[in-house]
Amino acid sequence: MDWTAIRLLYLSELRSAMRERSVLINGILIPLLMYPLMMWVMFSGILFVTARFESFASRVEIAGLPAEHRGILERLEEDGRTEIAEVDSPPAGAAAAYREGIENRLLAGELDAALIFEASNDPPGNAAVSLLSNGSSDQSQTARSRLERALSDERAAWLDRIAEDRGLAGAEWQVFDVRSNNLATGREMGQFVMGMMIPLFFVIMIANGCLYPAIDSTAGERERNTWETTSTLATRRIHIVTAKYLYVATMGTVAGALNAAAMVVSFRSFLGPLLARLGGGDGSGLAFELPWGSLPVLLLTAVLLGALIGAAMMILAAFARTFKEGQSMVTPLYLLVVFPVVVLNDPSLEFTPPLAAIPVVNVVLLLRQAIAGNLLWLQLGIAVLANAAAIAACLWLASRVLRVEEVATGAFEGNLFKFLRQRFGRRPEEARP
Amino acid sequence: MSAVQVEVQGLSKNFFDQSRGEIEAVREVDFECRSGEIFGLLGANGAGKTTTLRMISTVLQPTAGTARVLGHDVASDPVEVRRNLGFYSASTALYPRLTARETLTLFARVNKYPAERTKNRVEETIERFGLGDYAGARIEKLSSGMKQKVSIARTVVHDPPVLIFDEPTVGLDVLNALDLQKAIQELREDGKAILFSTHIMSEAERLCDRIAIIDKGRIRATGDLEGLRAATSKHYLEDIFVHYVAGNDAAEQETAPQEPGAPTPPPDSIEGRGRTPGAPAPPPASEEDAPRSGDRSATPRQPG
Repeated sequence: MDWTAIRLLYLSELRSAMRERSVLINGILIPLLMYPLMMWVMFSGILFVTARFESFASRVEIAGLPAEHRGILERLEEDGRTEIAEVDSPPAGAAAAYREGIENRLLAGELDAALIFEASNDPPGNAAVSLLSNGSSDQSQTARSRLERALSDERAAWLDRIAEDRGLAGAEWQVFDVRSNNLATGREMGQFVMGMMIPLFFVIMIANGCLYPAIDSTAGERERNTWETTSTLATRRIHIVTAKYLYVATMGTVAGALNAAAMVVSFRSFLGPLLARLGGGDGSGLAFELPWGSLPVLLLTAVLLGALIGAAMMILAAFARTFKEGQSMVTPLYLLVVFPVVVLNDPSLEFTPPLAAIPVVNVVLLLRQAIAGNLLWLQLGIAVLANAAAIAACLWLASRVLRVEEVATGAFEGNLFKFLRQRFGRRPEEARP
Repeated sequence: MSAVQVEVQGLSKNFFDQSRGEIEAVREVDFECRSGEIFGLLGANGAGKTTTLRMISTVLQPTAGTARVLGHDVASDPVEVRRNLGFYSASTALYPRLTARETLTLFARVNKYPAERTKNRVEETIERFGLGDYAGARIEKLSSGMKQKVSIARTVVHDPPVLIFDEPTVGLDVLNALDLQKAIQELREDGKAILFSTHIMSEAERLCDRIAIIDKGRIRATGDLEGLRAATSKHYLEDIFVHYVAGNDAAEQETAPQEPGAPTPPPDSIEGRGRTPGAPAPPPASEEDAPRSGDRSATPRQPG
């Protein structure tokens, strides 16, 4: 192998790529910035919406509040975000008209929620309560939540008082004393969330990173009339193709690695604070930290996927004579790669040895296991071998395809499938060069 | 006598086209080119010039025959052929996102110019072709005239003894075309063996030491201008060209009904070879040789 020529051509391809806006955007900027930006927008959006709801002053009316439950009013006043209009129970016979009036005001937006007590005093203090709100209004929903919280707190306090008066401990009258115990730490929960999301976007970004370079270095060369220039260089054609292939695989790998790094940073910076309430059983908050052991696996999977997707895309794009043709030939592969990843993104899916033999799918599952800090060595070995075999098959096919003069010079009209049909189909007379 | 650098013997190229079947783009072409010589291939669009030169430059594989560059066979030793060759054509564009200096360095290094002398060689080449002010600019930013200079520079930067110029002036304005012709003449003075294809008579007259008239994939006559004049009793190259091409067309019409193996008429040129009687007329060559418009082109016309 003429490694000097391969290195020179590879570096030349990379240098060119770094000066091409589309490559920079798809291979570097999107993987690096998309998720921090997306998370920031999501984070800001949620904060904005939450703040908006929290700052609402809810207009509520409470009718017939029993004297023994004045605690409800105190709770709402303490919260300070509720404007309360308290009225007596409507006289008997006027209850229906009163309720209708409340409903009209709720629908007209003049009122956010209403509580109507109908005291039964059997046993003393008990009452039926109607909580009226308008489900089609955010403001009314917020008011309803606030009233529900106040009612719930008041009921709990009331029951505690009764139990205390009767000399009962809480556990005696509550029947079940549920003590929820989450065994996962905040870090483990963070790894679970990352394990679900990172592999999915990882594959998409690697495919995205390979897409433009694969087309640019094959169909793009023909479109720019530089293919003939390249083919007059004093090195074997296989060395030229090797340099181009290494360039495409590098761009895919870099896109995947950058994307994974950007996602981890984004999770830590934006998603972590947002999901802080979902802390682990050890009392720690949700932590998005990759185990150190997953980093070599992440790098390995990026290289394997970049090499595999890059090779497959280059074979398809080798038949294109223009960039547009290249896009139409390669895009189905892009979808083919992404589709199973989306479908198989099921947390209950077990990473079995047979699944480890399916290229692309095995990388996703391997990565998920590695992020969870649970590396299965047998599956790792099978996955590496399966992907290496797929890469070797792609490169073998590429070398066979580019050995055909018509394909190499761009004179062949058609795609890979037409080529294979002509070579191996039923009509061998059409396969002549 | 200077050394033979390029030898072409019985070189043929067939293409297969699904609608037209087997196409003989080049048939049994023979010639040679020596150091310090510009050997012209003069032919109409579609005559087989580009296909012939592409086979010599190893872009295409010959169907039959041989071509050697400094003794290296194009089929069995293509890398050595390319190392000793500079190939320039209208379809060999430059990498738009590299600078002129990066392009020259890449071509010098990949074409095996000694690494330790590459930097000096690149700077010399930049100076020789007046690229100093633009050497750091990306190719895509250069004017077409500057691009053409960079193209010639990248063709010669690894100092190959053999150069191929395939219709180099196509698409250039008069001044740029004259600049290019001057550069080619200087390269001849440097001792390079130059293969030059054109369909423009004035270019061939001005530049070429010897001319081969190629038509329908076959060489009809080869010689220097004086020899061709003497053989045809015509003064202008245009008339000489028409003499061979139109004469051949007439001969084809006469011989078309004959069976293969019929007597071969004598050659009608100093080094010319007639078409095999009874053989089917070869269709036009490859797509890249498809007809293009051109000034004073060698498109055959009826003698009048």
